[in-house]
Amino acid sequence: MNGLAVFFALGIALCSVSGCSVGPILEKTSNESQVSSVSASSYKESAIKSSSTVYFAYDKYNLGEGSLREARRIADQMKKNTSLRIRIEGHCDERGTREYNLALGEKRANAISEILTLNGISSRRVNVVSYGEERPVSLGSNETSWSKNRRAVLKIY
Amino acid sequence: MNKFSIRLKILSIFLLLTSEAIFSQLKIEITEGIREPIRIAIVPFAQNASSIQKFKLHSIITKDLESFGEFEAIKPEDMLSYPSNQEEVFYRDWRLLKVNYLLIGSFQESEKDNEVTVSYNIFDISRGKRLYTGLISSPFNSWRKLAHRISDRFYQKINGIPGIFTTRIAYIEEPKLQEEKYNLKVSDIDGENNSLAFSSSQPLLSPDWSPDAKKLAYVSFENGFSQIFIQELASGKRQVLESSGGINSSPSWSPNGRYIAAVLSKSGNPDIYIYDLNKNSWKQVTDHFGIDTEPTWSSNGKKILFTSNRGGSPQIYELTISNGRIKRKTFEGSYNARGRYLPDGRHIALIHRRKGLFHVAIQNIRNGNLKILTDTFLDESPTISPNGNIIIYATKKNQRGILAGITVNNVTKFILPSIIGEVREPAWSPLVN
Repeated sequence: MNGLAVFFALGIALCSVSGCSVGPILEKTSNESQVSSVSASSYKESAIKSSSTVYFAYDKYNLGEGSLREARRIADQMKKNTSLRIRIEGHCDERGTREYNLALGEKRANAISEILTLNGISSRRVNVVSYGEERPVSLGSNETSWSKNRRAVLKIY
Repeated sequence: MNKFSIRLKILSIFLLLTSEAIFSQLKIEITEGIREPIRIAIVPFAQNASSIQKFKLHSIITKDLESFGEFEAIKPEDMLSYPSNQEEVFYRDWRLLKVNYLLIGSFQESEKDNEVTVSYNIFDISRGKRLYTGLISSPFNSWRKLAHRISDRFYQKINGIPGIFTTRIAYIEEPKLQEEKYNLKVSDIDGENNSLAFSSSQPLLSPDWSPDAKKLAYVSFENGFSQIFIQELASGKRQVLESSGGINSSPSWSPNGRYIAAVLSKSGNPDIYIYDLNKNSWKQVTDHFGIDTEPTWSSNGKKILFTSNRGGSPQIYELTISNGRIKRKTFEGSYNARGRYLPDGRHIALIHRRKGLFHVAIQNIRNGNLKILTDTFLDESPTISPNGNIIIYATKKNQRGILAGITVNNVTKFILPSIIGEVREPAWSPLVN
């Protein structure tokens, strides 16, 4: 047994008799966490030829009479001009959770997309995107604003 | 004028200067505290060097411990003595001031090692005993973190659960609603070290921390559709989780860091998938024509909680990954969403709709008892502190998105107002050493 070990053994023995505590262990704190800033290059949307909007009831994604008519009208237009493509953006009002609304917005956009497909438009010409509640057109927290925000925007390009 | 009162004058001037000079974007403001807070005393630390740092340490620890209304620190000028080591502590001085717990300490700077070292002691005054002796060091410029660590230790010794003062919050900021700009930001829980991680002209959503707190997963629309990105905070290095078409949303890191649960709608409707970061591949785990979204992992990584409208209205379900079994967990009301397990494994925090209003609620998942915690009404995105004591969530005040918080025992309510624009989608970082 070397000297150091004897010293520690003695220390432990003394402590067990007198009940003294061992000194604190040094705790090391690392550097503050650093954050690097990154930004996205700006996104450019293709030039839109025409745009229309259809509206939905709260927490619903079924199409009303007027919305169905609008979807069929667009299908006709796209059949006549086969170079046209469409981007359907689904939106929600601010109520409820964001991720759920993202899913709900897609259900709304898909409701339109399905009518186009049923009317013979290839899904390759249809682009669906949901923005959920991220892009309101009206900022109030009341039914007037909410009803404007529950929508699908049909952008023909 | 005696020496003490001069010292105290200098001290109060310093406290004033530091609190005004600190520019913070999110600052905790208590709006409601019902119970009597625990009275504590934090004696300004003795030191052998420049006093500015000493005053800052003291004020950071005080601010930490008072921030959620659990503790109330007596003012240094009301103290009867200023001990810095155990021999100088006289319990009767503190009993006279009705102090329950005492923190004293001293620190030393080492120019050579570019380090500060603090030795400190925590005392239980009513029981007349020392609870803890600590020795802690940090590089010079990281000493906010050192102060937070002492706060964590104090909190843990008194409350028996870890403190959360070294944790951070990630959130989404929209500085001006008129112009499309979205920022992903990270801030210390006390609002300091507020930094921009990512900015875009297109929406950003759903930040979620990796278990080691070094990365964030989030949803970005920067390419005109939703994609899930992982970003390493220190380097800014980004990786996209490749997927084809439809929604890519709601990333949630598994406790072991290897998987990310998320929502994809490539099959035509939103379902839950798991991404394996080692194999770079997706595996589908739910399959229903309704909406499945908002996945989150149990702490042992064996179960996933998610929201689904498969029963006709949004409700919370639990998936056992190994056998694919799915069990409905919420039954009260017609809108329950975005469940998150509390660390005790027995409760979940969620968004519950009652009479058309959306509140943060907590539910016992064994007996189903549900308790609404908030009186705000457009609540979203509850995130739970790693010690399970506090929930921060997004809500609206005067038509503006703000972050608010509540203690799980429903005693303290607070807000974290932002100076500019809207803030939302808070995500509390895990506790790491």
